[in-house]
Amino acid sequence: MLEIKDLHFGYDKGKNKVLNGINLTLEEGKIGILLGRNGAGKTTLFKTILGIEKPGSGDILIQSKSILGLSYKERAKQISYVPQLVNFGDLTVYETILTGRIPYFGFSAGKEDHEEVKKVISEMSLEELSEKSTEKLSGGERQKVAIARAIVGKPKLIVFDEPTGNLDLSNERLLIEETKKLSKEYGITILCSLHNLNEAVELGDSFFFMDEGVVKYSGGNELFTEEVIEDIFKVNVKVVNIENKILITGE
Amino acid sequence: MSISDCISALFGNGSQANVRIMQNIRVPRIIAAIVAGAGLSLSGLIMQTNLNNYMASPSTLGITNAAVFGANVSIIVFAGGFLNTGNNLSSYMAGTNPYATSAVAFVFSILSILLILGLCRIRSFSPGVLVLSGIAIGSVWTAATTIMQFYATDVGLSAAVIWSFGDLGRATYETDLIMTVVLFAALIFFMLMSQKYNAMLSGDETATSLGINVKTLRFVSLLIASLFIAVSVSFLGTIGFVGIICPHIAKKLFGQNHKVSIPASALTGSILLLCADSLSRTIGNGSALPVGAITSLLGAPFFVALILSRRGKHA
Repeated sequence: MLEIKDLHFGYDKGKNKVLNGINLTLEEGKIGILLGRNGAGKTTLFKTILGIEKPGSGDILIQSKSILGLSYKERAKQISYVPQLVNFGDLTVYETILTGRIPYFGFSAGKEDHEEVKKVISEMSLEELSEKSTEKLSGGERQKVAIARAIVGKPKLIVFDEPTGNLDLSNERLLIEETKKLSKEYGITILCSLHNLNEAVELGDSFFFMDEGVVKYSGGNELFTEEVIEDIFKVNVKVVNIENKILITGE
Repeated sequence: MSISDCISALFGNGSQANVRIMQNIRVPRIIAAIVAGAGLSLSGLIMQTNLNNYMASPSTLGITNAAVFGANVSIIVFAGGFLNTGNNLSSYMAGTNPYATSAVAFVFSILSILLILGLCRIRSFSPGVLVLSGIAIGSVWTAATTIMQFYATDVGLSAAVIWSFGDLGRATYETDLIMTVVLFAALIFFMLMSQKYNAMLSGDETATSLGINVKTLRFVSLLIASLFIAVSVSFLGTIGFVGIICPHIAKKLFGQNHKVSIPASALTGSILLLCADSLSRTIGNGSALPVGAITSLLGAPFFVALILSRRGKHA
């Protein structure tokens, strides 16, 4: 379970406040979706979870244990990251996934690390791409490799920062399926930011609507009402329910 | 000298002059080419990875400019008088203290490194800030050198200009030993960090999420790379383009995995500098041309080709 308690953060030594008391609880193995306009604080929240930025006050707990005092290495064993723009340099798929084991091996990969990499490659059906340069992969394949690298470290939580932002429709579908698989088959808790509300409804178990550095609304898909969306995004949309599936139009 | 004369002289046989040329000049020169080429190329690779900039090279952080300024201070202000270019036997070992200029050049290089890394430590320590600080501080050293040279005497000015030519002829067994020790220390550290450098190719945020303290690793890596550059440029002067060409050749041939590209870059640098030095002595018509000029001459067309091919790639 991920718990964030009254988290505050500001850039320039706290002067430019971005997070103004974030409170959030996400059950273990569930997919939580962060929604909000640009500048609402989603990326900054991710940075504090990953340890890139240190919060001014508040706490982040995974399975009831604070992660703020952990070293980079120990934190990396619990949390993985899949960025929006996936760039690996000119490494092969195998070499890239192996970097996901760095928190465990430090200087040089051991037998166990190579076995874990092979296992993940097999589970994600990446065998054919294994020795291919990541520079020659499609956007969807790159995202798949990024997910493989994220799970090879056996994290408790994976943070996805707008993962579908640069993907076409078919790769978007592929990513949604892969993400659901992580939650269901591996039991990994996932916190993901998305812009597309329909994608969010399809993917998420819990939803957190952010505005001005706080979580203004949190809950299940009952939150997707015209009033809430207008309050957060300042746009008028239509929310329709077709055979128990929510569809948001006019975004 | 024929090849057989060279081999004989290497083992102390043959005429005294041949033995002296071989043992006191050629061998230290060859060792210097191998070690300096490896170190400069390696430093270039580490700079490119850590600064996330494929155009980064040993000169990016202005270390060479600082060394040239230091050498000019020694020659023009303190009259270090380091006129030994290695081309002339009679001037070999000239000067009261042949290391005076190198020592001052080294001190200024280190000062410059600490200034840049210190400034960036206070700020965000991002690659962009580092490169811009390096360019700015490098320009200050160059401007200060120009002003000093403006007030120099003819002899001081010519000595200072000659020093700034990269020249392997200045190498001695002592300077080779110092460079070798620094090179091996750097090589061991960089090899140990090779997987972390691989992770850094994905960007700072991803590298941090993989358990790497990016700021500290970047600081230490650049400090070690800069240390070799400072030692090399202080002893041999400015040798351009090795640090930018060779890492690219190695990456092109063997890929970007640092476990391979680190030793491959070092090897490529050694081979290129050795070839450039042989060429400089062959086309120099009896006297060796400054090897720094040869590496730049060879490097400039490659660099332009690299830029054009990159443009094509992203077009």
